[in-house]
Amino acid sequence: MTDVEALVLREARLLDERRFGEWLELFADDAVYWIPTKPDQASPHEALSIIYEPKSLLAVRVERLQRGEMHVQTPPSRTVHHVSAIEISDLEARSALIVAEWRNGESRWFAGRVLHRLKRGPGGLQIVLKRVDLTDGEAPHRAIAVPL
Amino acid sequence: MIDNLLRGDAVHRAAYIDPAVFALEQERIFRRVWLYVGHESEVPAAGDYLLTRLGPDEVILTRREDGGLSLLHNRCAHRGARVVSEPAGNTRQLRCPYHAWSYRLDGSLIGVPLADGYANAKELRGLAAVPRVESYRGFVFASHAATGPALADFLGGLKSAFDNLLDRAPAGRITRFGGSLRLEYRGNWKMFMENAVDLVHPGFVHRSSVEAARAHPEAERGDSVTQQGAQMFLANGMRAQQWDDVPLHAFPGGHVYMGGFYRQGVIAPQREDPVFERYRKALVERHGEEKAAAVLAVDRFNNLIWPTISVNARFGAMRIVRPLAADHTVVDVVCFRLEGAPEEMHELTLQFVNLAASPASLVASDDLEIFERCQRGLADGANEWIDMRRGVLTDRRQADGSVVSSGTSELPVRHQFAAWKSWMRA
Repeated sequence: MTDVEALVLREARLLDERRFGEWLELFADDAVYWIPTKPDQASPHEALSIIYEPKSLLAVRVERLQRGEMHVQTPPSRTVHHVSAIEISDLEARSALIVAEWRNGESRWFAGRVLHRLKRGPGGLQIVLKRVDLTDGEAPHRAIAVPL
Repeated sequence: MIDNLLRGDAVHRAAYIDPAVFALEQERIFRRVWLYVGHESEVPAAGDYLLTRLGPDEVILTRREDGGLSLLHNRCAHRGARVVSEPAGNTRQLRCPYHAWSYRLDGSLIGVPLADGYANAKELRGLAAVPRVESYRGFVFASHAATGPALADFLGGLKSAFDNLLDRAPAGRITRFGGSLRLEYRGNWKMFMENAVDLVHPGFVHRSSVEAARAHPEAERGDSVTQQGAQMFLANGMRAQQWDDVPLHAFPGGHVYMGGFYRQGVIAPQREDPVFERYRKALVERHGEEKAAAVLAVDRFNNLIWPTISVNARFGAMRIVRPLAADHTVVDVVCFRLEGAPEEMHELTLQFVNLAASPASLVASDDLEIFERCQRGLADGANEWIDMRRGVLTDRRQADGSVVSSGTSELPVRHQFAAWKSWMRA
């Protein structure tokens, strides 16, 4: 397993283990986490996004996930981020993602393609961009609390 | 039935949970009132069409050759197949994929195959047209009912929301852009409309995002998206006294607006940064100093046009509530480009909607959770009545028939139910 592949898998596992603080640390300071609404969306200025957050704002999202008073995570979700079909080209990883989420007596699923863009820094490999293109980004969704 | 559901300043829980009440709402409200179907900028050229919804029905909004608009049921007059399946496009005629019945953009029948074999082919009908379609300054509304109040009268005191949105465009035009975000919750449609102007809930429901933003003071000095997010989250952290100072203004017909409450940074109603200065200058060129100042001074947050629209003119955003069942609602969120304004203003609009109205929003996700909790809770009949008296002593009736109240009042709930009752009874 390459270290790129290992990072992609670890990123998914940290979400499932609700280790959100450590998850955030995988992102470089200038990183962006993005879930566009449209397939092939070239920029966040072209159309709406389900999430478009630089790391500094993602830090607020993670802060909220770590605090107790978040209604939409009371009770918390259990998730499995199933990552497969990983293709690596230098510092880019493309993969297929299925997220199963169970919360409050109900299950649901998300599916999409993921692009990880990485860089090598003094501290090792870091995520510069995680982009999740959902199969149904334009469809109605109930509240999404755990990052995909 | 309806009289039994409202008692003074309380409403029976059946209004939210009973499928029979929902069916009656469909018949008496959604098949009669004016509902928003789209914006003229979505069908600018002859032959353009847009698939949209009018209450429970799927309809096609078309721009005819003569420049007028038609709204047609998306159901072939022959065997009932959906005629259009693309969300939007341009065409000279609408043709059913099943047996190729073809229609003009006004829905009239062009022809059917094997017409010679009919004894009376001339009597075959075209696509059913929605009886009333009307545009208010580019916002297209329609009604399933052939008669009823005129659109301008129906919008009444909240025409001002659309006027202000248009007036904010230096070129005098706005264009729908950016696609849409869509929210869904297992709860009644009325909850969304009530919550959008409930100014006590932010202190409790949105506490998690307020506290998270407070824990990251550096975010307020971050990049533009982070700054905007932090400022929006922090704004919900006002004290009850400050919320009280945000005016609520209710108009006949169930419409309500709330005053603005964004005070600081990139979300403030008037700013001094170079982008806003360029924008202000463009606006002055259009309107002159005095009117431009008046347009920018209109500081409102949600403008609710009962029963299903919420307009935020300052951020060029609009939410359209789509009731699907007593306990199932979808909300479409769309936005508009203020033509003639700096591009950065449109980025602010997209970010506002992403941050405030996405299903993954740190703000909206907690609202959706609360709607679902209410719906589940109301299934329990331990208490049949829902109180809506909060702030009733602060209601002040104005000479024009509207009512003004302190921000923490439940005036909007009382007011929306008064409109609900008048449509449901008749």
